[in-house]
Amino acid sequence: MSPLALEIDAITVSPGGAPVLRGLSLHVAAGTRTALVGPSGAGKTTLLRAVAGLAPLDDGDVRLGERSLRNVPPHRRGVAVVFQEPRLLAHLSVEENVALPLRAAGVGGSERRSRARERLDEVGLGGFSARRSQGLSGGEQQRVALARALCADPDLLLLDEPLAALDPNRREDLRRLIVRLQRERGLTTLVVTHDRAEAAELGERVALVLEGRIVQHGPPKELFERPVSAAVARFFGVANLLRGEVRDGLLEVRGTAVAVPGPDGDATLAIRPEHARVDDDAALRAVVRESVYAGTHVKLVVDCHDLRLELHVPPAGAPAAGREIGVDLPRERLWRLPEDDEIAVSAAAAAPSRGAGRPSA
Amino acid sequence: MEARGAARLRAERRRALLAAAPALGVLTLLFGGALAGAARTSLVPLGGEPTLDAWRALYGDPAFADSVRFTLQVTLLSTLLSCALAMLVALVMRRRSVVVRALLSLPVPVPHLLVAVAAVLWLAPGGLADRALGGLPLTLVRDDLGLGVVLVYVYKETPFLVLLLLAAMGEALAAREEAAAVHGASQWQRLRWVVWPAVRTPLVVGGIVVAAFVLGAFEVPLTIGPSYPPTLSEFALQATQGDLLAGEGVAAATLLLTAVASTLLAILAVRLAKDAAGG
Amino acid sequence: MVETRVQRVLGGLLATAFALPLLVLVVRAFADRWRAPALLPQDWGMRGIELAFSGQAAEAFWTSLLVAVVTTAVALVLGWPAARVLGERRLKRPAIAFLLLAMPLLVPPYATGAGLTEWFLRLGLVDTVSGIVLAHLVGVLPYVVVVLLSAFGPEVTALEEMGRASGLAPLQRWRWVTLPAVAPTLAAAAFLGFLVSWSQYGSSLAVGGGRPMLPVVMLPFVRSDPQVAAALALLFLAPAIAALALTARAARSPL
Repeated sequence: MSPLALEIDAITVSPGGAPVLRGLSLHVAAGTRTALVGPSGAGKTTLLRAVAGLAPLDDGDVRLGERSLRNVPPHRRGVAVVFQEPRLLAHLSVEENVALPLRAAGVGGSERRSRARERLDEVGLGGFSARRSQGLSGGEQQRVALARALCADPDLLLLDEPLAALDPNRREDLRRLIVRLQRERGLTTLVVTHDRAEAAELGERVALVLEGRIVQHGPPKELFERPVSAAVARFFGVANLLRGEVRDGLLEVRGTAVAVPGPDGDATLAIRPEHARVDDDAALRAVVRESVYAGTHVKLVVDCHDLRLELHVPPAGAPAAGREIGVDLPRERLWRLPEDDEIAVSAAAAAPSRGAGRPSA
Repeated sequence: MEARGAARLRAERRRALLAAAPALGVLTLLFGGALAGAARTSLVPLGGEPTLDAWRALYGDPAFADSVRFTLQVTLLSTLLSCALAMLVALVMRRRSVVVRALLSLPVPVPHLLVAVAAVLWLAPGGLADRALGGLPLTLVRDDLGLGVVLVYVYKETPFLVLLLLAAMGEALAAREEAAAVHGASQWQRLRWVVWPAVRTPLVVGGIVVAAFVLGAFEVPLTIGPSYPPTLSEFALQATQGDLLAGEGVAAATLLLTAVASTLLAILAVRLAKDAAGG
Repeated sequence: MVETRVQRVLGGLLATAFALPLLVLVVRAFADRWRAPALLPQDWGMRGIELAFSGQAAEAFWTSLLVAVVTTAVALVLGWPAARVLGERRLKRPAIAFLLLAMPLLVPPYATGAGLTEWFLRLGLVDTVSGIVLAHLVGVLPYVVVVLLSAFGPEVTALEEMGRASGLAPLQRWRWVTLPAVAPTLAAAAFLGFLVSWSQYGSSLAVGGGRPMLPVVMLPFVRSDPQVAAALALLFLAPAIAALALTARAARSPL
């Protein structure tokens, strides 16, 4: 069975009466894996539920392949969901839980059992067939839920923050498993996460949802290094934004001229904290306000007069708070934000979430 | 587009109301019908004109006054005793004993009438307790104060109240008590400032529920209560066994009064419970 | 759980307080002759049992059982959607519903029975099983709804969503997801409903007319023949204990 593409066409969804998604469109190419990322309340889970058929559409359409899913009830969409919680049935064994979609389809007992066991082997839970779901750990329960979703042999796989409830080691295992299974099957997949690093690892493409709309959609590298707006930049951890008028390829930053790419005129430039460097020979001076050891790097918050910049530097030789340093902003690392201010301004309040934050709506 | 979301919400609310309608509708019909029927019977004797005779008869009847007094007495005594006892048991138990909690749920399925029958066998003159102890200090069966009736209701309602109180004395309360103890609060102070506010409302609501229930005492006093004075429900029964025509009206009037009294108490209880739960 | 000594004493007291009264019923039921001041019966025998069953008791037992079963069934069918809606908090003003449920619970059954008689006389429902069922429903329906509503909520809704996403059609979802999830509470609601109807005295007396109901038949014997009363009391107690055992088992074993 060849994979199908998912087309979300200008949907409006208002679960509580007020619209959460407004005219949102997204295309997920057949057989690919897209990560949906965004802050709490942005509408990621609502989008997933709308595609699954669990939230009604006020407007727009959802198409899987050629087929419109608009008036199709969830149990006939060919869409499988792995929820944030495993949602296993306590009165059934692990195997019976996994076989649930087959039972729904009317598949006979022995075939159900063998197929369920195959799925359990695939997720690394071979031998768990007869166990009760209560005795399993969170990670094991999620894998049962994954096996159940695969058992449905769906055209589309939806995962809602599948790694959120797990501790970091388990998260890595499950992430690898999801990626491997998706690749083997060529299953069109949409994963929701609030963690930007996880989005980059889980998605072949990443889509950022802000205030009910897709703001940017592309390979992870693009969103991290070439954000289209200040809001996107902020969500992906680009804390450093420089605004001003570019003249002769130079931007004046607090009295110092910095070489920037692109034509003259008003511009907003962004640079990732990892790309800004401490260089005592640099013309731009700043005072270190905070120097925080973060394991893999040292986070520096520096003040260049009233401009606050953030740098991530290797721990070795990192300057301490109070020191005056030179900041090098390499021209090739500077990214010029497009002129679309509307999105930037309205999403300005959206705060980027970090690592092990709480799962979002 | 916003209108569509709002319209959908309205449709969902309507659907919810429709789902609850059968149960609530049947209840309204039957319960409302019962109250209306009692009112009707009290005002319109069989095949006659509407008249206040039944009500006037009640008003002037000293037996009715005695019945009211007796019923209120039994109700008050039962409610206060079972509340006090339940509070004591709950404080001693503090939610810790699973066994005791299981034991407390045993009387729940036993009908009041059964408890009354067993009580008679035990506590009547010539009953088991009388024989075992060589004579009881009090008359508890068919005594003028209705102590047997009170005993039966205390026996049945105390476990119910204890379970209600224990439900309010959960982990959160234990944690708050610990915090208070750490800050130097004595046992008595903890009781007054931490425990009491938590159990106050369930106790009061539970007490009101018990009172409303005992107000309608019927089969228990029929079994173990005195022949005079009767409780209000007994009074109504006796009225129907006397003068056939007027009796129905008097009985209906009496029962309507008890129904209204219990209903008012029920409303009070729901209001208090709702306020406590934050509306 | 570690129990203090006081709690253990309390436990012992409670066990005695609850077990002992039942014991006297058993003894009295089988005591043909038990003259004071003897602590134990002089004569044991089946006289009580025989007399009990020779009269209306057998018919009363079956009528009470029938009424209780029918009332509970009707209450469950009517009450299920209401419990669902209340448990999932889908009503805008639930307080009104709760008031409507609380009032019939506390009003004396004899009063509601007597009030309904006024209309039942015109409708020919007095002295019929249907009439008694309707009268009992006033007390049973609220209990069933209040108990059952605690079963519904976000957990059940989440499981049902999972069922839909897994391809289950509505009927399959109901059988394989919803019903097993609410089974223990459903059993409790059914049990309580049954008991409320089974124990009814006042409404049975008011509406029942001549139709014998067990508690009504039993009461006069307390004064006239305690042995028969005790025998009938045991009969009265039996279904409650059986229902308790059954629902405890049903609640524990997965469907």
